[in-house]
Amino acid sequence: MKVPGLQWRWAALKNGLQEDAAYRIEFLIGLISSAAVPAAIQVVLWYAIFKVGGQTEVAGMGYSDLVAYTLVSTLFTQVRGGDHDFDLQEMIRTGGLSNYLLRPVSVVEFVYLRGAGGRFFTAGICLVIGALGMSLVGMDPTRLIGAMVLAIMGNILHYQIGAVLATTAFLWEEAYSVLMVKNMLVQLLSGELLPLTLFPEKWAWIWKSTPFYLYVFGPTQYALGKWSTLELLHAMGVGGLWMLGVWLMIRITWGLGIRNYSSLGN
Amino acid sequence: MSFIRASHLSRTFKSVKKKEGLKGTFELLFNPQHQEHKALDDVSFEIEAGAFVGLIGANGAGKTTLLKILSGLIPPTSGTAEVLGENPFKRSLSFRKNISLVMGQKAQLWWDLPALDAFELIRAIYEIPEKTYRDRLGMLAELLDVTKLFQTQIRRLSLGERMKMELIGALLHWPKVIFLDEPTIGLDVLAAHKLREFLRDFNSREKATIILTSHNMEDIERLCSRVMILKTGKLLYDGKPQGLTQSGERQLKITLLETPLVSDVAALTGLAPEQISLKGGEDAEELANTNHLWLTIKNDQIAHTLQKLLGRYTISDMGIQGQSLERVIQKIYESESAAGSRT
Repeated sequence: MKVPGLQWRWAALKNGLQEDAAYRIEFLIGLISSAAVPAAIQVVLWYAIFKVGGQTEVAGMGYSDLVAYTLVSTLFTQVRGGDHDFDLQEMIRTGGLSNYLLRPVSVVEFVYLRGAGGRFFTAGICLVIGALGMSLVGMDPTRLIGAMVLAIMGNILHYQIGAVLATTAFLWEEAYSVLMVKNMLVQLLSGELLPLTLFPEKWAWIWKSTPFYLYVFGPTQYALGKWSTLELLHAMGVGGLWMLGVWLMIRITWGLGIRNYSSLGN
Repeated sequence: MSFIRASHLSRTFKSVKKKEGLKGTFELLFNPQHQEHKALDDVSFEIEAGAFVGLIGANGAGKTTLLKILSGLIPPTSGTAEVLGENPFKRSLSFRKNISLVMGQKAQLWWDLPALDAFELIRAIYEIPEKTYRDRLGMLAELLDVTKLFQTQIRRLSLGERMKMELIGALLHWPKVIFLDEPTIGLDVLAAHKLREFLRDFNSREKATIILTSHNMEDIERLCSRVMILKTGKLLYDGKPQGLTQSGERQLKITLLETPLVSDVAALTGLAPEQISLKGGEDAEELANTNHLWLTIKNDQIAHTLQKLLGRYTISDMGIQGQSLERVIQKIYESESAAGSRT
């Protein structure tokens, strides 16, 4: 049976992956460096605090807890959304959107799927590396599957939010800065730099009121056994509601924004 | 029934005005000023199915804006457009499946992939059956002679080869309406010729309606049965291309052994002084040579004029040529300005 629209979606995903594969070395080096550098900084930080500074616990977490968090969260940070929302705003600004607007596809989805191929491939690699590592240290690797599903939901949500913010480019040439601010907030509130449990209790509402914790912190907590399956399902439900709400916002903002599109550049 | 209809189309663009220097930058920050530019002004026309229409005009005349409105990329500020019986700006699925826009200055295929991968994606987007896709690809590749290049990354192709790939990508879904914005720009003579042959062949074979913008008169003369000329957003001329060359008016270039006087030549031949010039041509040598005589002349005046000139001067060389696109546009613009100043 033929599902309408499935053909181009699958082809866009494959095509994006083919494009990433065209620059295999760049892709791998990018992957390794984006994982290794932040992880190394965090491990050195924990070493300095616990081994050099003599601390035994920080916010209820010991040295091994924090190192485990760092290593596992690194896997999900790689799956966290890419910069395809930046591509979207650049296309709006420079007129490149015209290439896609006249194709019988959803532009927002098409750009996501072309860019997501590489991320999904990365998710597969992270799943294998994570499962091997967790098996070696005697942890349950099957929890990684549920955690990865949540991380992929986070990847989609990250792009959706970016797609809404990118529509500011229809009105304002410097929409890039809006996306930069969003990414800074994501870095801080997703749990990719530090576990969110390090936030003071009275500030916890800040990260709990955004969906960013579903990107890295949530998957890591579940993979490490800190969250129950019920908590994971709850987080997925929250993520699903966010996705639905942001999808509606995409429909509205794009519907309004496109009226101001002037297709510059030619 | 008309395939494409434009009724009193106008389009205005608003942009931020920035004064020069640092002061201008700060003013822009705190007190931005806007300016409006009218790109299209009350343009109306109808085009029948299967027509090959040339759209010409100087830079900024509104050609690309018109194509963008007709293809549904931008809405008009006022007036209405109808393509294939639909409002283009609604961009319905059936509309998008039946049109194509090729911009000569913009790459629409994905640079890092071989053309075949890009075509495969286009096949999936338009849900073209596998066999139909193979047949069309084979036919287009043969017409454009690019089969050997299908597995080369787009960015590694020459400009002409890339343009051919762009055309294949734009035609694989067999659109009923094709908008071509300067498709031969930057192409060498041979590549431009092959592209033109291909477009003519495709138009006559498939009965697709094509609107072409170009600065190249050869594109227009060889392909289009109808020409529209735009100037600062207004439609100045809409008719057959033959009308553009002003019923057989030609430029006669004569090289003499002496430098003549315009008044003498006028008296001798009976031509009006404004039909005679001692300066013409495009290269430096021609411009510097004062022994050249350039006559803008109708076909039936040629024999008589030459007879008179041969009786008085020694002619060392001569040639006859049609008018360039720039000259034709310039003439139409001039006549419009003159008509404007009379009214």
